[in-house]
Amino acid sequence: MGRWVGPAGLLVAVAIPFVDASPYTLNVLTTAAIFVMLAAGLNIVVGYCGLLDLGYVAFMAVGAYTSGILSTAFELPLLYTIPAVLVVAVLAALVIGAPTLRLRSDYLAIVTLGFGEIIRITATNLDFTGGPTGIFGIPGIDVGGPAGFYFVCVAVVALAVLGSARLERSRLGRAWMFIREDEDAAEAMGVNTYRVKLLAYVFGAIWGASAGVLFAAHLSAVSPQSFVFLQSALVLMAVVLGGMGSARGVVVGAVVISVVPEVLRDLGAFRYVFFGVVLVVVMVLRPQGLWPVRRREPERVDAPVQEGVRV
Amino acid sequence: MQRSTLLLAGTALLTSLLTACSGGLLGSEKAAEGPIRIGMAVPLSGSSAPIGPNMKNGAQLAVDEINAQGGLLGRELELDVEDEACDATSAVAAANKLVSAGAVISVGGYCSSATLPTLPVFDKADIPMIIPAANSEQLVQQKLRSVFLINPTGAQQSEAAIQFIRKRQARTVAVLDDNTSYSTDIAKRTTELAKQAGITVTNTSVTPGESDYGSTVTKVLSGNPDFVYWTGYFQEGGLLVDQFRRAGYAKDFMVADGSVDPSLASIAGGADGVFATMTQTPDTIEGAGDWIAKYRKAFNAEPGPYSTQSYDAVRVAAEAIKKAQTTDGKKVVEALEQLKDFPIFSGPLTFNDRHTLSQGGFQILVVKGGKFVLQDSLR
Repeated sequence: MGRWVGPAGLLVAVAIPFVDASPYTLNVLTTAAIFVMLAAGLNIVVGYCGLLDLGYVAFMAVGAYTSGILSTAFELPLLYTIPAVLVVAVLAALVIGAPTLRLRSDYLAIVTLGFGEIIRITATNLDFTGGPTGIFGIPGIDVGGPAGFYFVCVAVVALAVLGSARLERSRLGRAWMFIREDEDAAEAMGVNTYRVKLLAYVFGAIWGASAGVLFAAHLSAVSPQSFVFLQSALVLMAVVLGGMGSARGVVVGAVVISVVPEVLRDLGAFRYVFFGVVLVVVMVLRPQGLWPVRRREPERVDAPVQEGVRV
Repeated sequence: MQRSTLLLAGTALLTSLLTACSGGLLGSEKAAEGPIRIGMAVPLSGSSAPIGPNMKNGAQLAVDEINAQGGLLGRELELDVEDEACDATSAVAAANKLVSAGAVISVGGYCSSATLPTLPVFDKADIPMIIPAANSEQLVQQKLRSVFLINPTGAQQSEAAIQFIRKRQARTVAVLDDNTSYSTDIAKRTTELAKQAGITVTNTSVTPGESDYGSTVTKVLSGNPDFVYWTGYFQEGGLLVDQFRRAGYAKDFMVADGSVDPSLASIAGGADGVFATMTQTPDTIEGAGDWIAKYRKAFNAEPGPYSTQSYDAVRVAAEAIKKAQTTDGKKVVEALEQLKDFPIFSGPLTFNDRHTLSQGGFQILVVKGGKFVLQDSLR
């Protein structure tokens, strides 16, 4: 059944607009899709490699601002900005990763938290980022209105989720998990932990920045208020809620985190109270996440010793 | 077995959804019937949450009055309020929800930075916007024909501020903003006007949401100002008033309209003597006694800031729909442009070519006994 989960989820995502294509539903769905992409990216950093990142939304800001500035200043279609976005995202990952990845656990978390705030406050204070108002009038991706854009998002996000799931099973993915479980052992076994951790950052940044491009196209506006710490915390919450390191789990977690506050919208001012209660209940009942990874235990049965074969 | 059931279920689900529902991509549009829906996105949660209910009640009061007089075009009005939380993403979601619910006109918008990204959402749906509170110049600079502001903009506010600063004969002015679009807009304009008037002026930005502004206060006071003007919102404003006083500052302190809220005094632990640049509020408008009594009776609450503007926004919207004899967005926009001397609280309303008030502006209030009362109407 396992291999049908992804296609089934994709089918549902594609089918919903045929049921209800009101601008509101499409908006909620698009926001959720972008959030899934963010969660998939953070899952690479936190879930696979075990690097606690509290400023992940900064990468999204880097992507959103880069594409927003380039497309408005040079009147470029948004698609043309993607190469530049990827370059800037990788640079951002190297700049923040290179000096900080020597740190571990709590210290790394604090530095990433600082990085997130630095990006936001810098964007608030620079002129070319539009200051506190940000950038407006970003061209969308014009493919048949909001529904078309939603399908583009679903396609991109599906690729991103699939990509991150494939990465998990790659040589690099195994190295990441080795580091997550025991960094010293990984190093002792010859894994270049510094390089491998930096790569986790780079992949996370690419995912986040690409989500940022979609975000900019979706809102047609980028402002620093969209990249506050709460956003980083929500993405992290999606990863933890879904199940750290589980590609399926984080998709479910991200959908829950982005859709539940909208479902509770009618409660008005109380909606975040209920949202909090829902999260607490879920974490009490399922501390390992909604859809955790089922770890394949290494086979411990003693292999039958073959006569005459030297091991 | 599992695979085939899943496939079967999936196909069944898909086909039933495609055929049964009419709201989807393959369905037809809903016809416009029933009440005329007026959309309003205001902050009901987040840092500006206390303002939302004022705006909602003010608008509701106007809706009730119009319905009591037989509605509009033979239909009733219905107010649809959504939470914008003073946050761009929430505001866009709220705006889309209003569009989906079939709103024909929008009378919401408090935080400028959250209102800005909603403009294209409404504009694309041909929904005219009468913005009651948000008043950043950037809203005007979007040059959308469907956007109308009934609150005077930052340009008018900073003019009022400088007029009062000169009256107080201040020589060194410190302008503080909170880095949001609305606040920096006023701060920049005031700073420029002060320079032109030959006043020494410094402009400092603080990061909103903090609880200790001690370092900012020390820095600002080192310039020895005799007038401090805070252009941000009341939460930080209250803290700043308190922390400036504790640091020994006893000269003039003025706040902009975002800080005019009874909470300012309670956060500051008493803010008597603090001035404010503010548009007309119910307590400072002569002859608004009846209106206040009606508001109190309806909602069992005091009419706070922006209740009058929201009340007026609905009335302006209704007037335009009545003149246009339709709820069609383009015709309503034309009717709004042609409005002439429509009576609202801030004076007779005629929109200028920038779609802002052509007259009626700010006045200076002062806190007395924890309440804002009129100090100077600047007329």
